[in-house]
Amino acid sequence: MKVNTRIFGEIEIQEEKIIHFTDGIIGFPDCKDFTLIFDEKKGNRGGISWLQSIDEPVFALPVIDPLLIKENYNPVVEDELLTSLGNLTQENTFILVTVTVPRDLKEMSVNLKAPIVINVDNHKACQIIIDDDLPVKYKIYELLMARKAGE
Amino acid sequence: MLALTRRKGESLVVDNHIEVTVLEIRGDQVKIGISAPKDVPIYRKEVYLQIREENQAALKSAGPEDLKDIF
Repeated sequence: MKVNTRIFGEIEIQEEKIIHFTDGIIGFPDCKDFTLIFDEKKGNRGGISWLQSIDEPVFALPVIDPLLIKENYNPVVEDELLTSLGNLTQENTFILVTVTVPRDLKEMSVNLKAPIVINVDNHKACQIIIDDDLPVKYKIYELLMARKAGE
Repeated sequence: MLALTRRKGESLVVDNHIEVTVLEIRGDQVKIGISAPKDVPIYRKEVYLQIREENQAALKSAGPEDLKDIF
């Protein structure tokens, strides 16, 4: 099916690849269907992909694998909060955190307090808020620059 | 918003399966108990708003073209 997007123009996606958030994203309960876009042509830009809303062309959330930012990221999550995702195992669980890129790129950050959990088998997902004292704005610019310098 | 007055110990039943109870009243603080199915997320509003605000900020982020310069 064709999807209109603000950043990527009109894109073609397979319906099986639609990620469904039963309760939407926090603050946006009606945005339930998304697709994950990464810019293959331009290579892996620091690992950032986009969670593009199928319903709202302007709604595209930059996301990244938190383990690329914090190797030991392993927040405590109440299993019951993930029941809408079905049967989750180590192998089928994919976690992403949102990336905030303000005008001042040096202030780039990720939200470690409210990760997105995806079941890659049934494509169900949710965004949960972790009880632990984790930062909502974990700065990543220095880390990404250091990594780039090391390449 | 529906406003109801409750005394300590009294409750409200929401949607047939969520119960909100006033547990204690101490000065200007109210201790509220919520019984809900475990898959129902319950958050302090400030936390919820903070996450919503961060999602909104993330949505306003620079696009792939702008990030091209960093990487």
